[in-house]
Amino acid sequence: MKLGLAAAFLGATLLAGTASAADKRWDGADDLPVNPLACSAGEANAAPAAKLYDGGKPTNAPDKAGKPITLVDVPKLIGIGYFNATSKGMQDAAKALGNVTVKTDGPTEAKIDEQIKFIDNYITSGVDGILFAANDPVAIAPVLKKALSKGIHVVGYDANSTPDAREWFVNQAEFNGIAKAMIDSMAKEAGEDKGFAIVTSTFTTPNQARWIAEMWAYAQKCHPKLKWLETVEAQEDNNLSFNQATTLINKHGDKLAGLFGMTSVATPASAEAVTKAKLCGKIAVVGLATPNAMKPYVNADCVKSVVLWNPVDLGYAATYVMRAVVDGSLKPGATSVEAGKLGKLNVVNGSEILLGSPFVFTKQNIKDFDF
Amino acid sequence: MSEIPLAQAAKRVIPWWLLRHETMLALILLIALIGLGGMNSRFLTLDNLLNQGRLTTEVGLIALPMTFIIITGGIDLSVGSIVGLCAILLGYSWKTFGFPLPLAIGFSLLVGAAAGFLNGIVITKVKVPPLIMTIATLALYRGLAEGISQARSVRGYPEWFYFVGQENLLGVPAQLWLLLIAIVVSAVVLDRTTFGRTLYAIGNNETAARFSGLPVDRVKLIIYTLSGLMAGLSACVLVSRVTTTRSDMGIGYELDVIAAVVLGGTSIFGGVGTIWGTVVGIAMIQLLKNGLALTGVKGDATIVVIGTVLILSTLVASSLQRRREGV
Amino acid sequence: MTAMTLAGVGTDPRRRLKVLASQEALLAIAVIGLAIAVGLNNPRFLAARNLSDVLLGNAYIAVAAVGMSMVIVSGNIDISVGALIGVLATISGTLAVNGAPIVVAWLAALVAGVVVMAFQGVIIAYLRIPAIVVTLGMLSILKGGLISVTGGKWITDLPDSFHLADIELFGLLPFPVFLMILVTILAALWMRYSASGRAIYAVGGNAEAARLCGISQPRTIVMVFALHGLFAGAAALLYATQLRVIQSTVPPNLELTIITASVVGGVSILGGVGTVVGSTFAAVLIAEIASALVFIDVSPYWIRAVQGVLILVTVIADILRRRRMAGA
Repeated sequence: MKLGLAAAFLGATLLAGTASAADKRWDGADDLPVNPLACSAGEANAAPAAKLYDGGKPTNAPDKAGKPITLVDVPKLIGIGYFNATSKGMQDAAKALGNVTVKTDGPTEAKIDEQIKFIDNYITSGVDGILFAANDPVAIAPVLKKALSKGIHVVGYDANSTPDAREWFVNQAEFNGIAKAMIDSMAKEAGEDKGFAIVTSTFTTPNQARWIAEMWAYAQKCHPKLKWLETVEAQEDNNLSFNQATTLINKHGDKLAGLFGMTSVATPASAEAVTKAKLCGKIAVVGLATPNAMKPYVNADCVKSVVLWNPVDLGYAATYVMRAVVDGSLKPGATSVEAGKLGKLNVVNGSEILLGSPFVFTKQNIKDFDF
Repeated sequence: MSEIPLAQAAKRVIPWWLLRHETMLALILLIALIGLGGMNSRFLTLDNLLNQGRLTTEVGLIALPMTFIIITGGIDLSVGSIVGLCAILLGYSWKTFGFPLPLAIGFSLLVGAAAGFLNGIVITKVKVPPLIMTIATLALYRGLAEGISQARSVRGYPEWFYFVGQENLLGVPAQLWLLLIAIVVSAVVLDRTTFGRTLYAIGNNETAARFSGLPVDRVKLIIYTLSGLMAGLSACVLVSRVTTTRSDMGIGYELDVIAAVVLGGTSIFGGVGTIWGTVVGIAMIQLLKNGLALTGVKGDATIVVIGTVLILSTLVASSLQRRREGV
Repeated sequence: MTAMTLAGVGTDPRRRLKVLASQEALLAIAVIGLAIAVGLNNPRFLAARNLSDVLLGNAYIAVAAVGMSMVIVSGNIDISVGALIGVLATISGTLAVNGAPIVVAWLAALVAGVVVMAFQGVIIAYLRIPAIVVTLGMLSILKGGLISVTGGKWITDLPDSFHLADIELFGLLPFPVFLMILVTILAALWMRYSASGRAIYAVGGNAEAARLCGISQPRTIVMVFALHGLFAGAAALLYATQLRVIQSTVPPNLELTIITASVVGGVSILGGVGTVVGSTFAAVLIAEIASALVFIDVSPYWIRAVQGVLILVTVIADILRRRRMAGA
């Protein structure tokens, strides 16, 4: 057995050697082009070329303008704080609109295979519209196209599909916007030339991979001295995230001046790891998270800024967009849409509706939010 | 044991095959179908039922060899990971090695078979219990899928490849034909061949089977390899249906498959089970999920129902079985 | 073959002691050897802080693995334990947040654990439904039920006194580590020296012989599951009190980690053989490997594959060793 362990170790070390040589980009899991924003707010961003509408269109959708409609919302998974919040936003919007019924249902784990089955079932059961947050942008496309072909309206939020498989996508904040907010906060809190590490969910999660890729591009451009140490996977699991963050702290010691949490699970767990290690103030924690889980750390001054959009608003906006599509007030080529209390939202990238800039929660404002 | 006279009475009036687990299950299924159909008019349509067949093909293909394995008293927990590994290698060999797609499909089937063969060889030669061996390869094969793919997806397959996963052949989803053929072949093999009888013999008493000169190890090696091969086939069908490969494909399939097989009356202790029962088990789980969803039951409540049905139906079946044996 | 090994081991207590001792000794050597090997590569791994963090963060797995080992020794298996730990953590956290006395919140997890597991034990033992079916069904019920009831709402604002895992005994020994050691020693002594503890081996090794010796098989199995529930409750408390929030969902793949710890620890899935000391060492080893892989810069993509290989190597080596022992 000792021999076996030794052999396995040799193997592991060899693997390590080949793997670390290949690390150039921070994550590796996303080979899409990146588009970093300008470094300071004053500088104008190169305006992206105006894109034509590239979304899909339902065939022979019944005209239900102004009539009551039934929607189903199929998020990546149910039973996590984030999608509870988007679901609440949808209920709020349904109440405000008065002629919309919306129900949230989905898999209990973020599995694309299960999600497809849920959507398929709702196509059969006959709804007027489907709201979704995709576990995989490509794998979800066939079933969404099937929905369109049956005259069902399809609007995405949070995580996109390929554009032609849905009509509109409500974008919570552009990837490069999130990346800029995250990297700027880290450079400010940890220091321009310090080392940091990333705790993410899995490398296959599209949004996280995209953010990390954009963070890399933006740091290259604007904060080139920041040193990326490594990225670790921690699923959507509290204790695993905590253990991984602790391991990073112990491994890198003084070289580690910051931790990024890429999910609403990883960020509080990273903050807890820093607190337990009594390194508050020495290791900055910056990440995406929901306010309730972060309040203890923000109030204890262990975490200075938490980046997130308001997921309640995201669900609210998605419902308003769906209503506008059904009513015919949001047509291909439109440049904005009215979204109730959120006011006018702009159309970007052809067929996306932008919720706004990412929001940064701080000690001053975090008590005003409850989700 | 006051039930015994009752059972005797039942036995005289009702033909024995009606008391078989599979028949009982099929009756329960039928009642559930009619009930759910009554609650939602879209449930009992040919279109919906065929579509459910399409969605359940991947699990069904794996459940057939799993029935063989469980009949011998074994188990294979690594099937979900083999699906992931094969899906990744299908995409990887096509995209990175530049294999023509048919060759890539062949390659991924071969890898599936090899993965199953490795399980089989260690189980038979080193005598590692199947549960442990396949727990280890559950981690290993999934890890290989992640390591090889570096978590990258492969997309953009040629149109023709999507035929199996998305189109119809003679009005029936194309992959359902694959499943139907596989069901018929497995049923014939299990029922009508020496190979099938050997499986039962191993499950009833492995030592006795060995002493009777049955090729126990060879038969086990074959069924584990077959299980890997079918997981590979299932991976190809899945990739064709969802148009992309991901290293997390097939996670949790092992539990779905085992639930279907066990629900179908195959005893986890070995020696008892039929393909027909497994087919009813698969149909039951898929249609219950679908029917409940269409009548407005949410996903989380549905899995509670499935869990309860699994325990209760096994309870009913085993008490019937015991009564029959008790007589 | 295996049956012969078991029989041979069972008849000669001295040899059995030797076999088991060496199994545990090997795991201990592996734990220390690994620490040294990684320490040479990166000395920070050996810092007291890191070693204690590895133990602290994973003690709950070792505690749950003690119960799982008993279940497996009795010839059964439990797939529902991960889901149960999630449910128990939520129950305990909900009580604590809603103002129940902290002790009540703690006890509730233990009691609920015993009740659920004993219930499963009754179905398995008296209605004779295979454990894998019952616990697979229960996994589904607990997982779906938890989300249905809580809607996945996180439990936050837990009172400070709730955090059992933060207690340090004598300002030195963290409570989770203490509990892990205590539970392991007590369970090991009980299983080896008490009549009811030895009955577990008898039931798992040879149910018929156990019956002839006057041991009630069903009662033993229900007892084993009830104890397993108690340990699951304790594990859930450590799990729940480590962090400031409780997720109210089922921790992914936790049952697999726990089963792996038991199995790598030398518990035979065929029943009748194994000790909880081995399973605790194995749980520590698995946690140590996870941490070590990060320390020696194994690309995270390969971590699961390396873990799979390690389990395989351990199990095969163990089986070959037992075979040699039996042959000698």
